[in-house]
Amino acid sequence: MNSYKLKIITPEKIFFDGEVTQIVVRTSEGNAGFLSGHIDYVSNVVSGPLKVRETDEKKYRTAALSDGIIIVSGGDITILPEAAEWSDEIDLARAERAKKVAEEKIKSSKKSDSEFDMAQVKLKRALARISVYNQTHSEH
Amino acid sequence: MASANIKDVKRRIKSVESTMQITKAMELVASSKLRRAKERAAQSQPYFNTLYSTMKNIANDSGFKGIVTDLKERHALVIAIAGDRGLAGGFNHNVLKLSLERIKALESEGFKVSVMPVGKKAVEFFHRYNYPVYMEFMQVAETITAYDCIELSEQLVKKYTRGEFGAIELCYTTFVNTLSQVAKSVRVLPLSFDEQTEDKDDKQKDENGGKGYKAEVLYDPSPEEVFKLLLPKYVAGIYYGAVVDSYAAEQAARRTAMESASDNAQEMIDNLSLLYNRARQAQITQELTEIVSGSIKNSD
Repeated sequence: MNSYKLKIITPEKIFFDGEVTQIVVRTSEGNAGFLSGHIDYVSNVVSGPLKVRETDEKKYRTAALSDGIIIVSGGDITILPEAAEWSDEIDLARAERAKKVAEEKIKSSKKSDSEFDMAQVKLKRALARISVYNQTHSEH
Repeated sequence: MASANIKDVKRRIKSVESTMQITKAMELVASSKLRRAKERAAQSQPYFNTLYSTMKNIANDSGFKGIVTDLKERHALVIAIAGDRGLAGGFNHNVLKLSLERIKALESEGFKVSVMPVGKKAVEFFHRYNYPVYMEFMQVAETITAYDCIELSEQLVKKYTRGEFGAIELCYTTFVNTLSQVAKSVRVLPLSFDEQTEDKDDKQKDENGGKGYKAEVLYDPSPEEVFKLLLPKYVAGIYYGAVVDSYAAEQAARRTAMESASDNAQEMIDNLSLLYNRARQAQITQELTEIVSGSIKNSD
């Protein structure tokens, strides 16, 4: 399979930079797979799993992404998520804690809309982490 | 009298010395903080640069329509970023003076202006002048993360797209090099990219004129939706960049100020030691004269 360059950049660091043959990412319209030679394309990425198949590898590596965008330009792909973690680096306890905090905020939210939205985003992020963690750890 | 003088001078030397110790220490702290601030600014550069170029492409895309509700309300927000502490030369004063100028300019354009001071010195300043403060932040610059900025800018952008703020400006100090820091102001919103100003009219012209573009990019679900997601992150990028930049500039300014303070202290110590030595010499000479004249008397 042909490969292409994938870059995943978060505000903190360059999370991934290398050759891949296929990725599957969750966009606002649903999961979307990308092979090499994709036309120029830009879409919103929502919190969820990202699957990456690197060259010469049969298995996918999985990471949890939080919202951002994916940019396909000239065959290369750049993803700009707010945060990214490989499945084996996910701190489940922390994600559970974040989930709890976000849920409580949403329940007690007679506060402003913006706080509600923020909590919702955080909840989604935590859920994405937890589901990615559970998926990959049940496979083994 | 001479001995009293000597004591005084000695005490002054001591006090200047201990002041110099403090300024030296502050200088060292500032230079190590400066290094860290520069690293921090470089870290998030790739993320925000890519965001910026994508936004620019969308804004220049032929299919793109603006997402901003028309602004009937002439309300502007000025974000003024200064330091949390003084003793940094003209650092705080320069940037606050500039933001005051910008506020006056916006007011003369007919805007109602609110300020968002960042940094303790800025907060104190605008409270003293009784400006309407929208939000205020203190002690944030050292530990600010890109995520904090994204949360904040989501609120700001929401206000902007609803038309509650017609314009957002940012006043901060940019780090040119270790010796020079310049206060400057940038217009955050409405957007203006290098090639063209993205006002409504400009876009209208573009749609009708249809300039030549490179390969069409497919936006999913639409350029507007992508843009909506990008805008707060882009504003966060500018804001984060400015806070970190200003922090670096503050450290550089403090370093320079403390360096010259240490130099001045050294000079003062030199002068005082000269004075001290002279006084001491005079005292010795006088004592000698007294002894000699005493012995002359005795031998007589």
